[in-house]
Parts: sequence; structure tokens; C-alpha cells
Amino acid sequence: MTDEPIVQVRNVHKYFVRGSEQIDVLNDLSLDVPEGEFLALMGPSGSGKTTLLNLIAGLDQPSEGIIVVGDQIISDMSEAQLARWRTRHVGFVFQFYHLLPVLTAYENVELPLLLLPMSPWQRRKQVETVLDLVGLTDRMRHRPGQLSGGQQQRVGIARAIVTDPTLIVADEPTGDLDYKSADEILNILGELTQSMGKTIIMVTHDPKSAARAGRILQLEKGQLVREVVA
Amino acid sequence: MPSNMEQLVAFLTDPVRLLLLAAAILGVYLVGANRRSLVFIFKSLSRNKIRTVLSVIATFFLVLIVTSVWTILYKLDQMTKEQSKDLKVMVTEKWQARSQMPLTYAKPLASGAAKRPDDVKPQDDMAWSFYLGSLDPTKLTPESIVFFFCMNPDKFPTMMDDVDQFTAPQRADLDRSIELMKRDKRKVIIGVKRLEAINKKVGERFKLTCQNFKDLDLEFEICGTLPEGRYANAGVMNIDYLQDALDQYARDHRGIPHAQADKVLMFEFLKTDDIVSFQRLAEQITTSGLFTSPPVKVETASSGVASFMDAYRDLLWAMRWLLAPAILVTISLVISNAISISVRERRTEMAVLKVLGFTPMRILFLVIGEAVLVGAVSGFASSGLAYWLINSDWNPMGGIPFQIGWMQAFRIPSDALWWGPAVGGGAAFVGSILPALSARNVKVSEVFSKIA
Repeated sequence: MTDEPIVQVRNVHKYFVRGSEQIDVLNDLSLDVPEGEFLALMGPSGSGKTTLLNLIAGLDQPSEGIIVVGDQIISDMSEAQLARWRTRHVGFVFQFYHLLPVLTAYENVELPLLLLPMSPWQRRKQVETVLDLVGLTDRMRHRPGQLSGGQQQRVGIARAIVTDPTLIVADEPTGDLDYKSADEILNILGELTQSMGKTIIMVTHDPKSAARAGRILQLEKGQLVREVVA
Repeated sequence: MPSNMEQLVAFLTDPVRLLLLAAAILGVYLVGANRRSLVFIFKSLSRNKIRTVLSVIATFFLVLIVTSVWTILYKLDQMTKEQSKDLKVMVTEKWQARSQMPLTYAKPLASGAAKRPDDVKPQDDMAWSFYLGSLDPTKLTPESIVFFFCMNPDKFPTMMDDVDQFTAPQRADLDRSIELMKRDKRKVIIGVKRLEAINKKVGERFKLTCQNFKDLDLEFEICGTLPEGRYANAGVMNIDYLQDALDQYARDHRGIPHAQADKVLMFEFLKTDDIVSFQRLAEQITTSGLFTSPPVKVETASSGVASFMDAYRDLLWAMRWLLAPAILVTISLVISNAISISVRERRTEMAVLKVLGFTPMRILFLVIGEAVLVGAVSGFASSGLAYWLINSDWNPMGGIPFQIGWMQAFRIPSDALWWGPAVGGGAAFVGSILPALSARNVKVSEVFSKIA
């Protein structure tokens, strides 16, 4: 891990307007995430952790403030620019996996690579590498419905890392799993940080999961209230 | 027979065909460049097989109806389309719908009633009468009826339509049969389907009880056949044989001519260079004084057909501007409905694709691609199958059965092979625009906040 921040959040404010009412979700929030860090975001429901994650992943735009990932100001990008940026720079792991049911594990993992200028041979090599990394080489021809929750989440992780992204964001990646599967997933995420130097930002409600991260940030009412370094 | 180069030039100067060719090339390129996306589209369609199959079946039958309607309109349009050169001119009796002129009109009409050296003369000419007979003297049945164009056999290759579509062997057969007809006036050529229907073969002789010239029952010998296609149910006899029979009738009746002896010539067709020559020819004939009892009218063959078709104007208008568009709209709605349901069910999937980096435009194209694939494939299957089945020898009706005037059935043109995918794909494209825009506009944060 280096001290150079790969994610810089500066004075971000995010609010939603419902009728005449303004609902503030994030208030003047600033945050730095160094390259290679495994960061956990915790907090009660409605504290803004998923919103913050979506902003850092370029899935939403802040109402005010700046977000820089790598050397790019993503808070200024259009929706199409963000989509292209996400292809190369962000891998997303969902709580409910969100694999496409009609595609096999192999095809699900290959999906983000279809957006990159790669030959079929290069794609195949890359997909097989990441499926091997998450221990699913023998399940690559299975569809999501034929896999357990833990296996589906491992496919989700493989899909998130197949493009070798700058940043991996995970929204409650163990929230739908039993203890054993959750542990396997956290091991894989830890391995990605330690061995491959990947930067991971994980939202979780589970203190045990959060404890696997290198740093824990607590959010309440849209503001960072506490920081715990493991 | 038009050369390949002429056909190519005709193809390349038709903007609609060029546009379709460009669309096809673009389609092939996009498919080639996005094979994996195409696999994804196929798999998306396969997730609800019943819905996809129902959409395909609905589109298939609707395209079939459009193809049938357009086949009829296309053929009628072709027949009524004015040509700029090599115009076919039709001379008929002026005041009667059923034209009956004396055969003595044929010769002066063939020269365009030209008197002065600078008068326009037709390039070619053809005198026409009809002879309808039955093998069974007591009744007319589909198995006994034979219909002949009575004409100078030499004029069949030069003046009849679509002879240029004959293959080389068919044309050689025709030429050989014409020579035989010229040597023996009793010899006739009959279409292959009619021969099969009356259970006769080349070389056989038979006698017909005439239905349109009373007591003019004649004997014939079959010397050749007309191939599958336009003339498969027709026959050709030498008009001199008819005239000889009328002369013989007078001799057998102490010089009293047959009641229709002066009503033999039904049409005189003339071929002329262009519209200016046609106008001069028409003036020469109508002012010549040779054709006063009965008087004649001169018009282009296409305008003659158009005049005839005027009786069906409302029906054809409704087919062209109500039925066909209504079906196109229905195809769009059927596909739009199926794709809308599919998009609603897959909002989360669309959001996931966006998270993975699919741009809104790419998602739009994926959804449109699904619809166009369903539309184009079912459209092609529909028109291709219709072309193959309706035009095949197995179809006893010889085409789409739609009796209008002298036309009994319409064969589907080869152009229908591109109508199907174009209509199916085009209607599906239009129908999928709104659902695709809805998919394109899926908000990732909203979708996942609802799930959480």
C-alpha cells in the first residue's frame, strides 16, 4: 500500500429533492483512500454509505464537491463518459451478486471485457485467469442458478476484477451469505489487496467483516464520525 | 432478355434497394464486430421462450399478410406503370367493355394506319382473340376447360410479356413449337399446369366444344408446352386457324357468315418507340377513317389496365393505405409490448450492465437489437416460406388467390425476399424505440436503492 491517495473526495454534498423537501444524504464529506487500501464503510441504514460508494464508483454524481479517482475528476463526467470510465477503472461487487441468469459463469465474467478492444483469445485467457483466482475453473460453464450463493459471489468478484480495475467497490458483499461463504469471500478480497495491491472500498453492516479491512470509517447522517485503523 | 449488366445497373440506380444493401452490409459488419453481443442478445431472447416464440409467430403471420397485400399491389403497379420507351399500345373497341372488332382491322392497325411516308409505324404488332373450349361437350369443369390466346405464333416471343424470363431451354422449346404451329395451324401450345389438369400430353389430339364462338368446335394437336409461371394455365393457337374455321362455317351455311365473323379481333397490340410516337400513332389511327364501325380507342397497355382497375380503386386504396399500414402498426405494437415487458422485468439487469460500463447508447442498441432480430428473422422466414410455398408447383392455385379481372392468382415476386426482413425488422425497430429509451434511461442508483 502506498500513501498516495487513489480516491480523493472533497467537500461532497449529496441531496435528493422530493417535492418541495430537500433530503441531505451526504454533508460536506471529504475522504482520501490510498492506493492498495482495503477500506470498510460502516454505519446505520440511511447514513449515506451506499450513496458515498455509488459516488466513488461513478454511478451517481454529487450535488456539490469534487471526486477524483486516479488522475481523473469523475464528478465532472457525463453519464456516457462515466460508463466508459467504469469499464476500465471500477469493479463492482453487489450484495445480491446480480449475475445475468442467461449467461454462464464464464460469460458473466467475460461481459465487461466485451467493451474493451481485446481479441477473443485475450478475453479467454483473462477470464480463465480470474476464475482460477476465485477457485471456480470447474464451474465456468454453469449458469448462476446452478451455483451456490458463495460461488455466485465469487463469480461476481471475478467479474469485478477481470478488467484489472483501479478500484474495487463492494456493497455488502457478504450480506446474503452464510458465515463460511462470507469468510471465503473476505479471504479473496483480502488476498486481492495483499497480493495484488488492489484498492477496495467495502460497505458493510457486519463488524466482523469490517474487521478484515485495513481501515474502518463510520458514517452517520452523511458525515464521517469515526475512523478505526486495524 | 436483359443482360446481367443491365440488371446490375437497374439495381444500383434503385435508391430503396441501395439503402437496403447498405443496411445489410452494415448489419453484417455489426454482427461480425459484435458477435459476443449477438450471443448475449440471443440468450436474452431465450430467457422467456414462450414470449419470444409468440412474438415470432405473430410477426410471421402479420408479415405474411403484408407480403400478400404488397404482392398484389406490386403486380398491379407494374402493369399500370408507364414505360418511357418500347411502349405497348392497345387498340380496342371504343364503346364496349368487351372489345369485338373485325379481323380486317388487324392489317391496317399493324401498320399504324400510316398513309404518308413520314407517318409513324409501329415496331411490332399482335392481333389477339380468345378461344375458350371444353373437352366435355356437356359442361365446363376445371378438368375440361382450355383457354387459348389466338394470335400469329411468331408474335408470341416478341410481344407477349415475360417471355424474357424463360430459360434458354424453355425458349428453344418455344421456338421449335412455334415453327410446328406455323406449318400446321391445328397445332397448339399449352401450359404445363393446364396440360396436367386436362390429363393430356404433347402429341395428343383432342376436340374442344367452343364456348365463345357458337358451333365453332375445333380439333387440335398439342405440339409443345408453356413452362411454369405466367402462362402455365394458358394456351396459344394460330389465329389463322380460327379465321379458317369461320370461313368454313360460311361455306357450310350457304354463304351465311358466322354471327361473330366480324367480331373476332379483341385486341390489337402495337409496340412503339416512346410516348411521342404513341401520341402520333394514336392520332393516325383515330383520324384515319378506317376504323369507324365500330370505332376504336388507342391507349397504352398500362393505361388500359389502369382504366380497367379503376373499378377496383377503392378496394386497392384500402389495401394500400389502410390494411398494409394497419398491419405494420400492429407488428410494431406486438413487438413493442413484448420488449416493454422484457425491459420492465430486466431493469436491474440494465442497471448492472450500466455498472459494468455499458453506455446508455449501447444498452439502447442491445434492446433494439433484440427487437430487430425477432422482427427481421421472423419476417424473412415468413416471406421466404411464402415465396417458396406459394410459388411452388404444389400450390394448386398458382399463387395468392385473389381474383381481380382476368387475373386469378398472384405469384410472389423475388423482391418479397427483402420485404419480409425489411418490414419485420423495420416495424420491430420502430416498436422497440420507446422500450429501448426506457432501458437506456434506467437510473442505477434508483434501481439498487429499491433493491436494498
